[in-house]
Amino acid sequence: MLAVDRFSRRRFGTLVTALAVTLVAFSSPFSARAGSPDAGILPTKIPEGTLLRIGDPETQRALELSGLIDRLPFKVEWANISGGPQTIEAFRADALDVGSVADIPPIHATWTGLKVKIIAAKFRKDPVAHPIYQLGIAPGVEVKTLADLRGKRIAFSPGQAQGALVLRVLQAAGLKKEDVNLIELPSKGDAYPVALASKQVDVAPIWGVLVKHYLHQYGADGATTIPHGLRDDPAHLYAPQAVLDDPAKAAALGEYVRYWALAARWVEEHPKEWIEGYYVATQGLNSEDGQYLVDADGRFDIPSDWNDVIARQQATIDLLARELNKPPIKAEDLFDRRFEAIAANALNAS
Amino acid sequence: MNAISHTAAVALPIPYASDERGLLAPAVQPRKTGTRRRLALGRAIPFGALIGPALLLVIWSIGSIAGLIDPRTLPAPWSVVGTAIDLIAAGKLQDHLMTSAWRAAQGLVFGVLIGTTLALISGLSRLGEAIIDGPVQIKRAIPTLALIPLLMLWFGIGEGMKVTAIALAVLIPIYIQTHSSLRSIDSRYVELAQTLRMGYGEFIREVILPGALPGFFLGLRFAVTYAWLSLVVVEQVNATSGIGYMIDLARNYGQTDIVIVGLAVYALLGLASDGIVRFFQERSLSWRRTLAD
Repeated sequence: MLAVDRFSRRRFGTLVTALAVTLVAFSSPFSARAGSPDAGILPTKIPEGTLLRIGDPETQRALELSGLIDRLPFKVEWANISGGPQTIEAFRADALDVGSVADIPPIHATWTGLKVKIIAAKFRKDPVAHPIYQLGIAPGVEVKTLADLRGKRIAFSPGQAQGALVLRVLQAAGLKKEDVNLIELPSKGDAYPVALASKQVDVAPIWGVLVKHYLHQYGADGATTIPHGLRDDPAHLYAPQAVLDDPAKAAALGEYVRYWALAARWVEEHPKEWIEGYYVATQGLNSEDGQYLVDADGRFDIPSDWNDVIARQQATIDLLARELNKPPIKAEDLFDRRFEAIAANALNAS
Repeated sequence: MNAISHTAAVALPIPYASDERGLLAPAVQPRKTGTRRRLALGRAIPFGALIGPALLLVIWSIGSIAGLIDPRTLPAPWSVVGTAIDLIAAGKLQDHLMTSAWRAAQGLVFGVLIGTTLALISGLSRLGEAIIDGPVQIKRAIPTLALIPLLMLWFGIGEGMKVTAIALAVLIPIYIQTHSSLRSIDSRYVELAQTLRMGYGEFIREVILPGALPGFFLGLRFAVTYAWLSLVVVEQVNATSGIGYMIDLARNYGQTDIVIVGLAVYALLGLASDGIVRFFQERSLSWRRTLAD
């Protein structure tokens, strides 16, 4: 953690410089031509008939349950698409305007030549006590601390948040990639718990109710989980640059970010309705599992200032670039700061 | 379609078919009446088609009772039935089934129409074959799953893409079987048609279409199954209902019993739709005399 802090301070310095340079560039007479569209102020006028195609099923459900959905000042086409690989695929197909993901997909999209920007960032209060992931340990494998990971077979998905988490865990444990055996395996559905149970891998990051089911089903055989002790909580909305360049869509996205924040608060304030209306009614879980997930979430945090967020994202990018042999990119290029304060302001105002 | 049956039975007797019907009886002279049926399959077993699946079910049950099958990897039949009952009581299974059935039906209709048309064009003309056969063979070699990203680029992520993917999977067996069956129509029927001075339209109506029908039905048996099978792939993309979606969602939460309910529904749908096609096949091809009769 110390290393990250030092890192963020250095990055913060860079950021201030970058900001200063941008300001100078902007005040020069040639700035009108040089400035990219998102360097300015976010448009607020949403023309009649503006349509957003949104892939954010959880927020959709929260908006429906809370009734906020009727207030959206634009037309919506909801897509049941979320997560990195699917949203990137839909962006490429020009079938989606905004998607809901963790921290890695925007980085990965950029590396594959698709220009995207993050427009909203949500975290968990006390993320170490409320992690999204646990390290699942296969039955009969001895892993009590992160140091025990040495020599183990670890499930690894380079393009997904799970993959970055594995790399960060290794970094925190003082291990190199060569010290363990990374098994490339995309995390889809219950692929990771299944791989653990059938002892195809020794360690895999598993999340949500799969943790509970995994321990319940295979605990008797010696299956365990350990906390990784890092924060793994970023939740982002991100959109292709082309969508953000369209003033009508950009204005609608600004409003969507506002309602996205209000929906998050509604969920936090109505756990019973959320469990019954989302986990039970649409996800096919029982109330007990729903309660488990709500408890695991803890409380959310939407910062009004992205400096720390960007610094952490830069640390993630640097780690991934080094480990995966990718070109370095600037984290600030991944964020559209016109949207920075919208969500936090929405929460303060209401 | 009567033209062939009529001519086949009277003017052009086919030895293996005729033997059973006794048309050649004077020439062949069976030694004993009791041995006449020995080379054929014998009497059909009542509900014979259900015996194999029932046997599987029995093995599954016994394995579960005896503890040979780990319920975490394959839940027992009764717990799957319990899950199915819960899903039906909640109204979920029916909803998913309706969505899937509608998607499969649309894909099937388009796929069968396109597959049959392509098979006829390619089967009846050298130029058609040169243009059509290659691309169909190429599609045959490409898995639907791998085509999904491209189909998304071309048709988006809505229903159009899903139905297109199903139709593409369906048209392959229809094309292959119909084309092959059409091309293997015995040349003596063509010669016969020529002798009878049939026009081209009549030739197609009386010789080609009935001749291609057995292949078409075999293709259709594959096609109905492919239509159901494609669902599990297409319903992983931007779906909120359907059997494939139900399976995919259950995977997210590690609910193996729901996955197996989905698989059982596929199995039942597959068996049922195959049965329906076979029923129509037998009625439409009643003029044929084969080993199956």
